[in-house]
Amino acid sequence: MAAVRTSSEIGFNRVAIVAVLMVTIIFLAPIYWIASTAFKPRNLATTIPPTVVFQPEISPFVKLFTKRSQLRSPPTPEEYAAAPWWERVVFDGGEKIVRDGKDQVQWSGYPSRFLNSLIIAITSTVLAVGMGTFTAYGFSRFKVKGEADLLFFILSTRMLPPVVVAIPMFLMYRAVGLNDSHIGLIILYTAFNLSFSVWLMKGFMDEIPKEYEEAALVDGYTRMEAFFKIVLPEAATGIAATAVFCFITAWNEYAFALIMTNRRAQTAPPFIPSQVGSGLPDWTVIAAGTFLFLLPVAIFTFLLRNHLLRGMSFGAIRK
Amino acid sequence: MTQIELRGVQKFFGAVQVIKDLNLKISDNEFIVLLGQSGCGKTTTLRAIAGLETIDEGDILIDGKPIQHLKAADRDIAMVFQSFSLYPHMSVYENIAFPLRATRKSKAEIDSEVRSVAKTLQILDLLDKKPSALSGGDMQRVAIGRALVRRPKAMLMDEPIGALDAKLREEMRAEIKRLHIKQGSTTIYVTHDQIEAMSLADRIVIMHEGVLQQVGSPDEVYSRPANLFVAQFVGSPVMNVADAAVAETASSVSVTVGGAASGFEFPRALLSKLNGHAGGQLALGIRPEGVLIRRDAAEGFLPVETQIVEPLGSFDIVDLKVGSKMLRARTKSGFVSGPGEKVFARIDPAQAHFFDTASGKSLEVRL
Repeated sequence: MAAVRTSSEIGFNRVAIVAVLMVTIIFLAPIYWIASTAFKPRNLATTIPPTVVFQPEISPFVKLFTKRSQLRSPPTPEEYAAAPWWERVVFDGGEKIVRDGKDQVQWSGYPSRFLNSLIIAITSTVLAVGMGTFTAYGFSRFKVKGEADLLFFILSTRMLPPVVVAIPMFLMYRAVGLNDSHIGLIILYTAFNLSFSVWLMKGFMDEIPKEYEEAALVDGYTRMEAFFKIVLPEAATGIAATAVFCFITAWNEYAFALIMTNRRAQTAPPFIPSQVGSGLPDWTVIAAGTFLFLLPVAIFTFLLRNHLLRGMSFGAIRK
Repeated sequence: MTQIELRGVQKFFGAVQVIKDLNLKISDNEFIVLLGQSGCGKTTTLRAIAGLETIDEGDILIDGKPIQHLKAADRDIAMVFQSFSLYPHMSVYENIAFPLRATRKSKAEIDSEVRSVAKTLQILDLLDKKPSALSGGDMQRVAIGRALVRRPKAMLMDEPIGALDAKLREEMRAEIKRLHIKQGSTTIYVTHDQIEAMSLADRIVIMHEGVLQQVGSPDEVYSRPANLFVAQFVGSPVMNVADAAVAETASSVSVTVGGAASGFEFPRALLSKLNGHAGGQLALGIRPEGVLIRRDAAEGFLPVETQIVEPLGSFDIVDLKVGSKMLRARTKSGFVSGPGEKVFARIDPAQAHFFDTASGKSLEVRL
């Protein structure tokens, strides 16, 4: 690399910085919009021109998690004073929180959908990555008869878009009673992610020199022990990268979730837009739901960022 | 006491036979070097002994017991790989301790053994480092440490210093030799570098295309090569080999190479030792130090013209045109000033080798 940069290099650098900034702004604008709307008072959410400066509110999140009904008359000052802070913000919006006969707060549909999303995405990710790692190891290390055909077959399961197979899958699922069940979606997402996981992990496995295991075999370990003690730690980077991709796919999946589930096992993606249709939409609540939905992927990716960066440049820094 | 024996070992990769009927006995504490070009089957042989490769026929015996059906882990053999294969996610300490952890030894035992090996190899100060932070030579020491720590029945080394640069290679060669003398374990070492082989081995095993060519001490394979392959593979600069014609003269025997006008003089005893091979299918082999040259004419010396001169510091290698052949001679440095010079050459009969060109075998002529 030249120690002195030429003016054309500096010029190129500036152009590159501007280009990167613009791309970043374009990508982040919707996320900013969702995040800011999630904290807006309801009356400022749909103003034209858009409100940029406002006093942030927590009320959209309270509304997101609770069942509410319209107030026929405003609460009495005593009622208002006796209510907790989160109920007051709902009163302020002209609504009240629905309670059952035992005065228990009624939850909205969102928390259970969010929990479903977590259970289904995490379980299917663990299964897909786990099985994918073993399968990839087998393909990478042993002579498998018809290896190329098998690998192509595995990949071919990804060739049809989910929408195409969703209806037949739904009929099959209904026949065996798997529709609207956690297990049903977990199986579906695992199968869907497995091909991706096998292919990605095979690339990482191929990068791990065979000699490491051979050294472990000579050092007195069985192949299984060598796999767990040597191959798995070496593949951690690849496993992290694969897990992030599988988790994102399962977390964001919409088509299957929409058709296969309606209540018990419904995940957040089909639930959030369904709220738009019920009455006059409260965009702040929808934005709050979407904002919370973004967080797990962001946190998961952030936690694995070091592994991911190494994963992307795996081949480059290994040798 | 560890003796290793290979009996009629055969190995195929698909249709290709990579080891052909290999028989070899290695005695206790011996340092054996498997020498050959890449693809000659030497590494496959080593891996077969280690248990990383199955064999198709024959027996591998350690102390008289066949072990070819045992898993690598159960053979009690250690191996040092060319790539060192240090586990990157473990510290040096953990790397060396790794083979001991498979044996369910106590923590204290493991610790003392790791430290004693590290002391022998002078890597005590590296124990906390990760392999990626080590230099090539240190990685190699750690790899040897990992192999030694278990006190295995035998040490296998697959081009362990092939990945190092020339200077370090020389250092580590000496260190491996020192270590072997000190620890005295049966060692099988694979290399394609004949200098490594010569300097380390008690006995060298030369392989070519899966076939064992010769087994012998470094001196034996150098001064009494069994065939043309060994003759030309061992020794640098390479031995001169030329088709030769033998004719009887009044007082001696004349050996002509490259269709030259006159031949080199050999004692009469050659004729009887050639045993009828004089008529053709005969090759003369002579190492450059066996080609003697002088500036003025003398009895038995042929006039020749110098071609290329390669100064190598302590000596020069001079190409001499003899008929249509080139003979390379080793001279004092600066003895020949350049190409086109007229000098006189003869062949030292005591250093000459004769081969049957059909079979390639040495005729074992010693004059």
